[in-house]
Amino acid sequence: MIDFLISIFEHFVDPKKRIFLGYIILSVIIAFIWLIFIKKFSLVEAFSKIFDKRIFFSKSSKSDYLIFFLNRVFTLFISPMLITQIVIATFIFHALHQLTWLDVNMFKEVPKTIIIGLFTLFIFLLDDLTKYFVHRWMHKYPILWALHKVHHSATELTPLTIYRTHPLEGIVFSLRSAFTQGLAISVFFFLFGDKVSLATVLGVNVVIFLFNVAGSNLRHSHIGIRYWRWLEYILISPAQHQLHHSIAKEHHDKNFGATLAIWDWVFKSHHYSTDTEKLTLGLGENQTPKEHSLYTIYISPVVEVIEIIRTKFISSYKNTKKMVYRFLKIKRQINKNLISQRKDNTDVKI
Amino acid sequence: MIIKKSKLTILTVIFAGCSTLASQAISDTNYGPFPITVKGYTGTKTNSVSYTGQMARHVLHDSLKKLAGTGTGEANPALEEEMMAYFSGSKKNKAIISPVSKEGFKLKQTLVNSISSGKNLSGKAYKGVVNGWPGQMTGAEVLEHMIKKAASAKSGFDPNTGYNYPQLISKFAMGAVFYNAAVDGYLDEKLAADTKPNGKPYKDGAYYTGKEHVWDEGFGYWGAAAHALNLSAKENYEVAKMKNFSAADFNNDGEVDLKTEMTFAHAYYASSYDKGGKTNYLHTVTKAFVDGRKLITSANGKNLTDSQREKLVGYAAVISSNWEKVIAESIFKYAGSVYKDIGKLEGLLDSNGDTTKAFADYCKHWGELKGFSMAIQSGKNNLGETALKMNRMIGYGPVLLNSSQVTGINSSGDFIKDEALSWGEYKLHMLKVQKLMVDAFGVEARANDQTEGLAALAASLGTSESAEND
Repeated sequence: MIDFLISIFEHFVDPKKRIFLGYIILSVIIAFIWLIFIKKFSLVEAFSKIFDKRIFFSKSSKSDYLIFFLNRVFTLFISPMLITQIVIATFIFHALHQLTWLDVNMFKEVPKTIIIGLFTLFIFLLDDLTKYFVHRWMHKYPILWALHKVHHSATELTPLTIYRTHPLEGIVFSLRSAFTQGLAISVFFFLFGDKVSLATVLGVNVVIFLFNVAGSNLRHSHIGIRYWRWLEYILISPAQHQLHHSIAKEHHDKNFGATLAIWDWVFKSHHYSTDTEKLTLGLGENQTPKEHSLYTIYISPVVEVIEIIRTKFISSYKNTKKMVYRFLKIKRQINKNLISQRKDNTDVKI
Repeated sequence: MIIKKSKLTILTVIFAGCSTLASQAISDTNYGPFPITVKGYTGTKTNSVSYTGQMARHVLHDSLKKLAGTGTGEANPALEEEMMAYFSGSKKNKAIISPVSKEGFKLKQTLVNSISSGKNLSGKAYKGVVNGWPGQMTGAEVLEHMIKKAASAKSGFDPNTGYNYPQLISKFAMGAVFYNAAVDGYLDEKLAADTKPNGKPYKDGAYYTGKEHVWDEGFGYWGAAAHALNLSAKENYEVAKMKNFSAADFNNDGEVDLKTEMTFAHAYYASSYDKGGKTNYLHTVTKAFVDGRKLITSANGKNLTDSQREKLVGYAAVISSNWEKVIAESIFKYAGSVYKDIGKLEGLLDSNGDTTKAFADYCKHWGELKGFSMAIQSGKNNLGETALKMNRMIGYGPVLLNSSQVTGINSSGDFIKDEALSWGEYKLHMLKVQKLMVDAFGVEARANDQTEGLAALAASLGTSESAEND
């Protein structure tokens, strides 16, 4: 119980977590600046907009809060069973020893500041790129979509919506993170040795820290901050991510990026932000409150996944059966032909 | 006058009380003295503790190691004979070659027989086949073979095979003699009810019972000072290194008694890991020995009851498992050293530098690694697949600069060499040896951990748990 309470508390006081109170406060300040100076709201209007109780007490948001708590419980049980980044790093580190064209510490003479800079940048880019692809696959493959649509069933976005995640999807995310970190630390430790470390602020990768300080929590919010067009090619603006949650067909499968928009640009899933006030968020029109029930969030995706696997299995079983039947039919026909040929030959001899 | 007398009486009572408390405190933490419990003993002894034979073997071992490093590089039958005298015993009262007194650290004994006479190492060596060494030899045969080779090697080092004999002999003997005799003998079958029972003297006329002496002998092989529990790990380590006289001279007689006040062999290695703060092997093992001895003493010369014997076997299990871990820590440490040494050698080879010293260091560490890896297989546990993996990964010899490695032994007892693994593959083997020690024995001190940096880096990134939907 104490572990559970600590894990809840940690999310608000640990700068490594997205919903660290410091980041939330900065996001609120940025929202005020956006609304007052860009959207020309009065202070009172801006306050009402930011702390809109219709958003924070909506069915969707309330289910976000509940899921956040319940997922902490699941995490306590699931986390110890998952492969960690150190296991993957050790495996890759061992494997690198077998490459004859690579040597341990072969770049150890490179100045430490350069190594730290390279490592910090590399791990940020690799992390962001793998997040992009995993997110894309979440939308592409039916089994993964069955899980990911729990997140997309939110009809209002709040900073806690990032935790609106099915536990099985959480496992996928954890594996991605373990693989990314394991790869980065093993390769860098192999090539640069003990000099490798991360450039950090408050113990957080400096790039991630900047991303969080710059209002990362506004991605999942009702404040549609938009960037200049040129910047939206490089960084995903809050409004671009809110567009990703839109039910409009033209917005489907757009803006998978986490921090960088470059990946969307390169892999052709980029979309500029639009006026978010006009967007409807969720899975589709006429979404019912049932979409926020615990059964729909936790059980339905599992049922759907089983159904997909079962359908696939049955259809592939049927296909295999058909192929075997055809093969046997052909074989029988060949045997028949051979027998009749032998018979003909015997008749000739006689 | 009456008042003065009563004051004196009070003072006497207080003093006597303090003395009793002090002696109680000592016997609580020291391995002895323990009273005589043998029924019918009429001699003058007041302390039933006796493990001088084991301490004599510790100095035989240290002296043999010292001698093994004195060869000139030529055949030297005299040196071989001298080494054999320390290995197989001698009728002469041999000098203690190591340890010897030094400025600020005076030792009480200078002759082996001053500790115990008629002792040897060969008679107690591991009787099974040593799989980690070529030739299908027993423990004693391997050590004798090494002694022969050491006698003709310059300073005990043969660059043709990469064998550093002082290290190989010392580390293997620590396992084949001390560890084996203790955990596979005194702490195993000799704890059986009908073997050396506590209701009888160990032998006719002895002032100690069967079980008392069995337990004492096990403690002697461990190598800790009798007052080890009164010292920190660092102090015990400094005693072994002869750098802390006040910590060693427990009875304040101005001399360190090698029978009771010195740290030897496995106890020394345990202290070296414990001083890092992650482990507590020395105190755990020594306390189990002290507690076990108190239990035996409490039986007061009667046979141990089933529950007493069960408890004693429990202490023996604590000792054996921790002792095994201490050896595994050494394997872990030296696998890391060999890994680092290869890195240095590769650098020197790339830059055409002088590899003489780096190669000698590498072979020294390999000798320690190999010796300890053979030592751990001399215990009571059949290590099975763990031993097989370890032996294969370490090999019969270190990978040499000309990419060869000892692969066997011919009928004349000479080593055969063949093509070796690449440096990269051999380094990988060292990493796998470290991992094996973690997986199979759960080592915790992990000196020279070559993947420690990976773990530190992973920790700096935080948990990989990421249930966030970005």
